[in-house]
Amino acid sequence: MALSLSTPAKSAGRATEPAPRNSPLRRKRNRERLRTLGFLSPWLVGFTVFFGYPLIATVYFSFMHYNQIKAPTFVGLRNWRYVLEQMPLFGPALWNTLWLVVVMVALRVVFGLGIGLLITKVKSGVGLFRTAFYIPYLAPPVAATVAFVFLLNPSTGPANEVLSWFGLHGPNWFNDPNWSKPSLVLLSLWGIGDLMVIFMASLLDVPKEQYEAAELDGAGAWTKFRYVTWPAITPIVLFAVVTGVVQTMQYYTQALVAGKLASGVSIGPGTVIQPGYPDHSTLTVPQLVYSLGFQNFNTGAACVLSLVLFAIAMAVTLLLMRKSVGLIPAED
Amino acid sequence: MTTTTLTRPDTAVRSRPSGAGTAGQRRKRILNWIAVHSVAVALALFFVLPFVFVFLTSVMSDEQAMSGDLWPGSWNWSNYSTVFHTPGFLDWWRNSLMYALLGTVFTVCSSVPVAYALAKFRFRGRRTAMILVISTMMLPPQVIIIPMYLVWAQQFHLSGSLWPLIIPMAFGDAYSIFLLRQFLLTIPQEYIESAKVDGCGELRTLLKIVVPMAKPGIAAVALFQFFYCWNDYFGPQIYAAQNPGAWTLSYGLESFKSAHAVNWNLTMAATLLVMAPVVIVFFFAQKAFVEGVTLTGVKG
Amino acid sequence: MALWRFRTRVPLALGAAALLLSGCANPSTGSNTDDPTKPVTLKFWHGWSAPGEVKAINENIARFEKLHPNIDVVSTGNVSDETINQALRAGGDDAPDVVTSFTTNNVGQYCSSGMWVDLDPFMKKSGIDKAKVFPSTLLDYTRYEGVQCATPLLADAFGMYYNKDAFEAAGITRPPRTMSEMKADAVKLTQKNKDGSLKRAGFMPNFQLYQNSPDRMFAQWGPEYFDDEGKAKLADEPKTVEFFTAMRELTDAQGGYAAMERLRARFGDEMSSQNGFLTGKLAMHLDGEWRGLMLDEAKADFDWAVAPLPVPDDQADTYGRGYLTGTVAGIAHSSRHQNAAWELVRYLTIDTEPVVHFANAIHNVPSTFEALESPGLDADPAFRAFIEIARNPHSQAVPPSDNGGQYITSFGDFAQSVEAGRTKDLHRALKELDEQIDADNLQSES
Repeated sequence: MALSLSTPAKSAGRATEPAPRNSPLRRKRNRERLRTLGFLSPWLVGFTVFFGYPLIATVYFSFMHYNQIKAPTFVGLRNWRYVLEQMPLFGPALWNTLWLVVVMVALRVVFGLGIGLLITKVKSGVGLFRTAFYIPYLAPPVAATVAFVFLLNPSTGPANEVLSWFGLHGPNWFNDPNWSKPSLVLLSLWGIGDLMVIFMASLLDVPKEQYEAAELDGAGAWTKFRYVTWPAITPIVLFAVVTGVVQTMQYYTQALVAGKLASGVSIGPGTVIQPGYPDHSTLTVPQLVYSLGFQNFNTGAACVLSLVLFAIAMAVTLLLMRKSVGLIPAED
Repeated sequence: MTTTTLTRPDTAVRSRPSGAGTAGQRRKRILNWIAVHSVAVALALFFVLPFVFVFLTSVMSDEQAMSGDLWPGSWNWSNYSTVFHTPGFLDWWRNSLMYALLGTVFTVCSSVPVAYALAKFRFRGRRTAMILVISTMMLPPQVIIIPMYLVWAQQFHLSGSLWPLIIPMAFGDAYSIFLLRQFLLTIPQEYIESAKVDGCGELRTLLKIVVPMAKPGIAAVALFQFFYCWNDYFGPQIYAAQNPGAWTLSYGLESFKSAHAVNWNLTMAATLLVMAPVVIVFFFAQKAFVEGVTLTGVKG
Repeated sequence: MALWRFRTRVPLALGAAALLLSGCANPSTGSNTDDPTKPVTLKFWHGWSAPGEVKAINENIARFEKLHPNIDVVSTGNVSDETINQALRAGGDDAPDVVTSFTTNNVGQYCSSGMWVDLDPFMKKSGIDKAKVFPSTLLDYTRYEGVQCATPLLADAFGMYYNKDAFEAAGITRPPRTMSEMKADAVKLTQKNKDGSLKRAGFMPNFQLYQNSPDRMFAQWGPEYFDDEGKAKLADEPKTVEFFTAMRELTDAQGGYAAMERLRARFGDEMSSQNGFLTGKLAMHLDGEWRGLMLDEAKADFDWAVAPLPVPDDQADTYGRGYLTGTVAGIAHSSRHQNAAWELVRYLTIDTEPVVHFANAIHNVPSTFEALESPGLDADPAFRAFIEIARNPHSQAVPPSDNGGQYITSFGDFAQSVEAGRTKDLHRALKELDEQIDADNLQSES
């Protein structure tokens, strides 16, 4: 079962020689073009106004100094130099984003596959287990993060409380720079429901006869997996990886909310919230864009960083799209 | 597909008759059952316990919620009423609902024609269009947020509301377009051809024939968009933050802690109240949910 | 078709961009020619959220409305600086008229960008001499480069809470006045568990603890952060190295950084009943004047008192000083009722009665000379101690800068790195810090 977007070649290809002027064929083609334009118009307008224009404007502002009160002034490459060389948070933000992309996606895919496999093997109470595994995925990200920050509170949270029953001293989770990202990964594993469902569906789609044939050949569990299951689900795994990478590059809400809550900083006199608490360990590039643009009102630098994020996203996208051939329609 | 062929032993011994097997095989199956189900139960605990603890804490008293106790000493159901009456809480509900409903309607109405064109029309530039749609899907929203915010805030004076988020949804949403296209591809061409033969224009074909057939896909997309809006934090943070009257549940929940200092019990109650609608809707729309999720990657 | 579409789309987009961007200048501007005696509705945003605080400020507003029956004030609480910042930059009808901020560091930004209006003309019109009304330190952090864009609305002073029972048990007769005394006392007050870990620390300097932002303690040295040209001079200021050395010695004398961090992990939330000082895990603790109220409410099970924080040995005569900050209030540049807004600001920040009432209610330090000497002030000894700290002429606030608290954050990050032992060459690292602060400031210059 290949993952593809190509249209089944149902109808014959269109003739490509230009039609004579004012012929009925020409008029029909123009009508068709108009019709296509019409149907596509919402997206066309949206794309230009909400993507094309902002992209150009971002480039424009990256060369400007603008604090949203006085008019923008041209400053050349100063913002670029600032972000790329002088801003100490740039490195940590990049590193954290990269770390999360690699670790979170890998663990999610493996865990999701594992859970999917497990579910297909469960005989009694499948529905119950499936629901239990899926529901956390429905929790709104902010709510889930708030819940986890509470659960993993080093001193008063149930997690460390339960661990202490087993004589284990739980780590400081969201308050420890070495454990904050793993805590975020744990949170994302809790919400594995979506991956579980698609893996489950694809696992169930593998034809039973192939398993039976393999068994007759004396194949053990691992061999069955490697030679029957894996080839059949590879496209789905690839899809999960691609979407996982795309999502994690935008990772924002959970990291921001967790940092804010865990730092225990409430609005009070003279408090300045440290981005990426603790110790910049949860700071991701999208958060830094927000911080620069909407907390420091440094529009120029924020735009520079946006472009860096854009470049990375595009590079990764192209790389992954090349690997998943068939994602783009072959014919025109 | 590779096939591994090992030396074939005697098939009479290998073949497993349905139903009862030897005692050894039965024991193996029972052990297998125990193993699988113990792991499943352990994992289920991991998934379910958080909800349990959140709930237990939500009914604790103020002091107890800040200690390490697991079981509530008293059942303070009034916490939920306190949360409901927190200034702004009902506003957040109303705003989230409006955002989600309007966003969903706009998205569906604008994305269906686009997806249909991309699925069924043939034209030069279709490939380019698909690539552009997919690229937009992969785009982190933070890339274009600064100029967008400036336009909405300074040109249209719509910051402090959710309109900057809702209006763009009337112009199609890349993810929805992508999903709908996938689904519409599976509609056999014959239905469309026969409609054309009957004299229907493209628009009528779309509305009268295709849309009814595409209901599961449209339902899935609508659900996804609804929950995207419901769960959205970044959007409201950018546009609605400056006007507490326009906050949504997601954004308000995060600021909840400040309003109530460190009352974890109230915060947990609020968290459950934010999670509840999603779970309830899920139970009523299970089929569409699962269909939608499988739609995202499987059928080809 | 794709190609021509692309070719026309790009110029179109660029044209639209040029059009839109040209209109990107200052959004709505306000007006100060309104008649303050006409009926008007003012929008007032403040950051207070605790029920007691909100009640107190609402009472003040109610009294204001009685005095000015034509003015109706709509107030919104729990508003963060972020929200105010965004609202004022976007302008429009929803923007507030009068605002308050807890972050005095942002005053530099508010003044230089023009976001908060200059209040000098208003004060002149009302015949108010600000030097006679406000203590000079408070005026320092409400103006920037000659523009007085805010007035202080109550202040916060930081001092040292100490556990009197613990002092008695350790044989200490009075709170320490110099750093050497503090080190000696801290060692006497430290208690260890059987396994060697800390049970109670005398004083925890760790910069991540509660209110221990390094600029607070650093104020005891009276340093200068910036030179006359506004460039950071932490590397050249000898007090910086002295400060970090003193803190390191304090930590090491009680068991070292790692042991302190382990103890800190066992502290509960700052505002909760598991607060480290409240639960007896700290004998001396740096905090603001609101902590007294909280200790009383939580019915602490030990006897406590307040004293000023110690000062460096070579500045012993400055003892009694402390770090000052506070809330500031101002008028939004986009307000169309600035004269009416000024009436509200004046009432809340200058008139003695509302200042004293609010100060007593939320236990903040009053911010005018008259209020500081008012007999109506709460006689609570802890509260009084903070008032003395506020009146001490050596007390200082951090200088405002163009980019708000960014240099304080940078300094904080730096300090955490030093105390964790990650900085090898302190002097060179300080030079880098100065350069970075200057670069950040350059980015924010309007």
